[in-house]
Amino acid sequence: MGAAKPSGDDYLFEIAVFLATSALNCIDEPPLYGPFRLLDALSKIADLPKYAPCLKEDPFLQRIKAIVDEKKFLVMYNAEEFRKAIDEIVKMFAEELKRRYLEGGR
Amino acid sequence: MDVFEAIKGRRSVRKYKKEPVDRELVKKLLDAAHWAPSGGNIQPWLFIVIEDPKLLDVIRKVSPGYFGEAPLAILVCSNKEKAYKVGGTLGRDYLTICDCAMAVQNMLLAAYALGLGTCVVKSFSHTAVKELLAIPDGIEPELLVIVGHPDQVPKPPPKVPLSEIVYLNKYGEKFPSLEG
Repeated sequence: MGAAKPSGDDYLFEIAVFLATSALNCIDEPPLYGPFRLLDALSKIADLPKYAPCLKEDPFLQRIKAIVDEKKFLVMYNAEEFRKAIDEIVKMFAEELKRRYLEGGR
Repeated sequence: MDVFEAIKGRRSVRKYKKEPVDRELVKKLLDAAHWAPSGGNIQPWLFIVIEDPKLLDVIRKVSPGYFGEAPLAILVCSNKEKAYKVGGTLGRDYLTICDCAMAVQNMLLAAYALGLGTCVVKSFSHTAVKELLAIPDGIEPELLVIVGHPDQVPKPPPKVPLSEIVYLNKYGEKFPSLEG
């Protein structure tokens, strides 16, 4: 927000604050906001390499992030589509797991 | 601007331009807010305008429901002690929330009429926000209104048709000829 790009440490701290405040808020928020916050956390974590040069940007995670950012607000008006979107994301992770660790694709 | 145009055109904006919001416009939003109806005329609302970029960034960090990097936010608080003195427990526990919500709606419509985008956030950490903004006991943060120049305006969300939520005279009795 107008400030310089945060360091990796700052960005990690920001994610930690997000997780802690989300944990507290999720106690009283609608149940579907739990998955919503987790997806948002995923989106933030996918960006970690932008702030921490020791990490390599992961094109797969960037693809997932784009889908998450496009679909996450479905939670506000279409629970069924929101659920489907998460299901699709998990399927993509399963395929990627297979590719990376079972088929030697990494 | 026609009030119906504002009511139907307003959206929850989650992507903003960096352009700052003119103070005169902010004053107009606050003026609109404090003209809202208030139960018992308690007027329990208090408004904290946050425009310091560093402070705003910290508030965003403790607000999981805060999306986008708008240059301004207005925290709408209620004075619970004042509300209790005038309106008892009804005033403190219910009217404060209703009144602040009505003030916020005024603010949202005024912002839309002025070409600004807004988003109302309830998903923020009350504990952290109170600490960061030095809010004393007896004053409760109710809603955070994000304000800025919209960069992307979402499509209208689906609405439950009026025919499903409006009755005539008695619960369950159809109100004729209602459309969405």
